[in-house]
Amino acid sequence: MPFESGQVPQGEARKRVVMQYYPYLLMFVVFDVVGMFLFAWGISFRSIPTAGSLLVLLFLFLLGAPLGYALKMALHRENW
Amino acid sequence: MVSLPTTPAQIIPFIIAIVTSHTFITIVFFPGFIHLTLVVMFLTWYERKILARIQLRIGPLYAGGPGGILQPMADGVKLIFKEVMIPYKADKPLFLGIPLALVFLGALPFAVIPFGEHWVIANLDVGLVFIFAVTSLFPSMILIFAWASNSKYPFLGGLRSLFQQVAYEIPMWISALSIVLLAGSLNLTQIVEAQQKIWFIVPAFLSFIVFFVASMAELERLPFDLPEAEPELVAGWFTESSGAVFMVIFLALYMKLYLMSSLITVLFLGGWWGPAFLPQPVWFILKALIVATIIIIPRGVYARLRVDLLIKVGWTRLLIIAIANVFITVVLLSTGILSAWGL
Repeated sequence: MPFESGQVPQGEARKRVVMQYYPYLLMFVVFDVVGMFLFAWGISFRSIPTAGSLLVLLFLFLLGAPLGYALKMALHRENW
Repeated sequence: MVSLPTTPAQIIPFIIAIVTSHTFITIVFFPGFIHLTLVVMFLTWYERKILARIQLRIGPLYAGGPGGILQPMADGVKLIFKEVMIPYKADKPLFLGIPLALVFLGALPFAVIPFGEHWVIANLDVGLVFIFAVTSLFPSMILIFAWASNSKYPFLGGLRSLFQQVAYEIPMWISALSIVLLAGSLNLTQIVEAQQKIWFIVPAFLSFIVFFVASMAELERLPFDLPEAEPELVAGWFTESSGAVFMVIFLALYMKLYLMSSLITVLFLGGWWGPAFLPQPVWFILKALIVATIIIIPRGVYARLRVDLLIKVGWTRLLIIAIANVFITVVLLSTGILSAWGL
């Protein structure tokens, strides 16, 4: 242990750590999947009709409401 | 394709044909191992010089032979001969194996990065997704390494690395989505070919900013170097590494720096395109090194963000800007403003 100046370290290193920022982690689990599926739309943007792209954009737009709510909850310190 | 030798006399021509084949040269020499090693050594020297100029450090400015070139080699020799200290009760196979995995993951994405029209090892159709898939394994590997080293500070650093991934990854993907919309392909070669008339930094400037900030967070560079915050966590997740283990981790980190700067070059700065008086790979490497310089400079200048502020910036600023840029791109494409540049 070079950084503890020769003192014998105390206690266990592999302790339980409280996973903070739980709302952000939940949002990550949701948006990770959404983000990857958007790439499928991205490459086929030129080949599908405009109505299809409009649907995807509408979906993105509608996603704004839950995203805003989740951000509002996530910014509260008591929810971390 | 080279046919297998059937008689002993054919063995030497067979070997010569293999060694001079384009595939072999791309894997071993140019975008492959030797080029990567040289660039990584150059980057360590380069970063030390830049920081010495910014912070007026006398040692790195003048030490180590002509221009300090000998210093990286001296460092390498020193680290190889140092004792590898393995902490008490550490998970030995993981502690020694994860650094090698990190180097592997750092070098693997270079297989799909096009350094020139023909200078690419694997012309993969899902290249961009492949790179994201490989680089998103890094934080998990870091957490495993931190857990294996059985010490408190590395463990906290590894956890911070995961939180950091939560902050940067989705803005990064969404900002790359605008590029995919513009190029209509996930193949990196086709993405670069689509930028022949206009670099994508012009129509997608917002997403360039988002991608740049996100890749700085991915590289654990200041102001986002939370997993290895020196004043708080000693050296972060690689506190317990020493000797050769540290050298291997260092190599992986610099490979990743070069990887992200070449990815920014591919996606936004027109890849290998440039005036014809220099060959294509030279333009590519020049652009990548300029991007690497801009990534390195804040290390001597900026302070560090808090974890919660980083996550807040990632979700409330970067993600919103990236989604806004997707809408802008769709409008630009469907109104045909960009058709003058063949998009």
